Amino acid sequence: MKGYRYPKIAESEVTPKHVFENRRRFLQHSAAFGAVMSFAPGMLMPNTASAWQRTLADKIQQGVSNQDFAEGESLTSVNDATTYNNFYEFGVRKSDPEVYGHKLQTDPWRVSIEGEFENTASVYLEDILRRYMLEERIYRLRCVETWSMVIPWLGFPLANLLTHYGLTSRANYIEFESIFDPDNLRGQRRSMIDWPYREALRIDEAMHPLTMIAVGMYGEKMPNQNGAPMRLVVPWKYGFKSIKSVVAIRALEEKPTPSWVAKNPEEYGFYANVNPEVDHPRWSQARERRIGEGGRRETLMFNGYADEVAQLYTGIDLQKHY
Amino acid sequence: MLFDSSKVLLFRYFVLCIGIAPGIIFAWLWVNGGLGANPAEAAVHFTGKTGLVLLLITIAFSPAFRLTGWRGVMAARRQIGLWAFFWLVVHMLTWFGWDQYWDWQWIWHDIWALHYVRYGVLALLLLVPLAVTSFQWFPQHMGWKAWHWLHRFIYLSAGLGIYHFWELTRADYLVPFVFGSVLAFLVVFRLIDALIHRQ
Repeated sequence: MKGYRYPKIAESEVTPKHVFENRRRFLQHSAAFGAVMSFAPGMLMPNTASAWQRTLADKIQQGVSNQDFAEGESLTSVNDATTYNNFYEFGVRKSDPEVYGHKLQTDPWRVSIEGEFENTASVYLEDILRRYMLEERIYRLRCVETWSMVIPWLGFPLANLLTHYGLTSRANYIEFESIFDPDNLRGQRRSMIDWPYREALRIDEAMHPLTMIAVGMYGEKMPNQNGAPMRLVVPWKYGFKSIKSVVAIRALEEKPTPSWVAKNPEEYGFYANVNPEVDHPRWSQARERRIGEGGRRETLMFNGYADEVAQLYTGIDLQKHY
Repeated sequence: MLFDSSKVLLFRYFVLCIGIAPGIIFAWLWVNGGLGANPAEAAVHFTGKTGLVLLLITIAFSPAFRLTGWRGVMAARRQIGLWAFFWLVVHMLTWFGWDQYWDWQWIWHDIWALHYVRYGVLALLLLVPLAVTSFQWFPQHMGWKAWHWLHRFIYLSAGLGIYHFWELTRADYLVPFVFGSVLAFLVVFRLIDALIHRQ
């Protein structure tokens, strides 16, 4: 597993063009028969189509090491965690992602590894999944809108993925990009955000062992509304940093501008660390509502992960760099 | 064929239904789990939108009277206005109690720290004298002219309320934009109407 290097060849060489086009034609024809399509995909599509789902199912079966990162916290109910979501690609209402989530096309899923990597690649999700043991981690999730959840994620450290492709010495930031598919994602037909959604981390944040790529939650594959098939989870930052449905990971020399910062630079900072002492102009951040619980509870510095991550920010004025 | 007075009565019952309906819808949502994972937030948003819609409907009553000339519209105007006020008070109490758990220190903090909360509170405070003076006794004793002047504050209150809504919107401004457009349309109608009648 360690010795494996993804071959440094262009995407067009991996999948011969005629095969790729054949598949497109096949899909177009199938679309003409709506009734057939409603059950056919799993049966008729080439093996690669649902390959990642099978690989993931195997990986989940292989047993996950349970490590508790949120001691004494009780889990948010699956129902709450899958019906109350911010995923503006589906619409701004909290219920939209669950209602329209089925529109997200995840088969096949490719991730583009770009920029300051020794080996750039366009890789199928199954090839990523094959490399790693999945680990279950229970993390607190704190949304900038002052609600929070406790979620058991299934995934692997982002650092493993980054080091696999070899970061160059110029890689100072990692930028992530979500899927762009306005035909299927109704929220993207409106220009409320400069689509596609982009987020970014400083390289040391990206390499931090707490930062993970999640491909499942609650012991199952990632539901569409929660960012299928793979998403980022950065537990000490506000939820919007944990970008969903990632299609590109880019190593950059210069600091990129995440979508929310571009939208409203006075409200959103690059770091977006959970910080009860810095109010957002829209929300007081000192307290939060734990979903499924009455009342409010105090918000913890770095969402309770200060011991692990505070040293990343020594010498930085967090009042200024929020 | 109904007599005009019974039509007026019927219309007033209809307005009563409009005022009560949000309560029934809300109760239905609550019982059926339609409020979702964050019921406090859902309740605050529901009552706030209800109040704003009713406020705009109230403002629309005077152009509706201009256009139809039917006295039933005017007979029900105070009622619809009071329903709007009622739902906005419920909106504020929902925020105080359900969202903030009557934590006055934090309520006070948020009123001063957060723009949108401040504008919301201001919008509601502006409506208080309007609601109080909506009883017959007031226009008769303070004079209709002063009363009419006072009640024009409904436009300012609605404007502040929609601004409050606009400010708390994160990305998709469609709904507050629609609210604002409706108010702008009603104001323009009112101004044109006033100009015509001055001549």
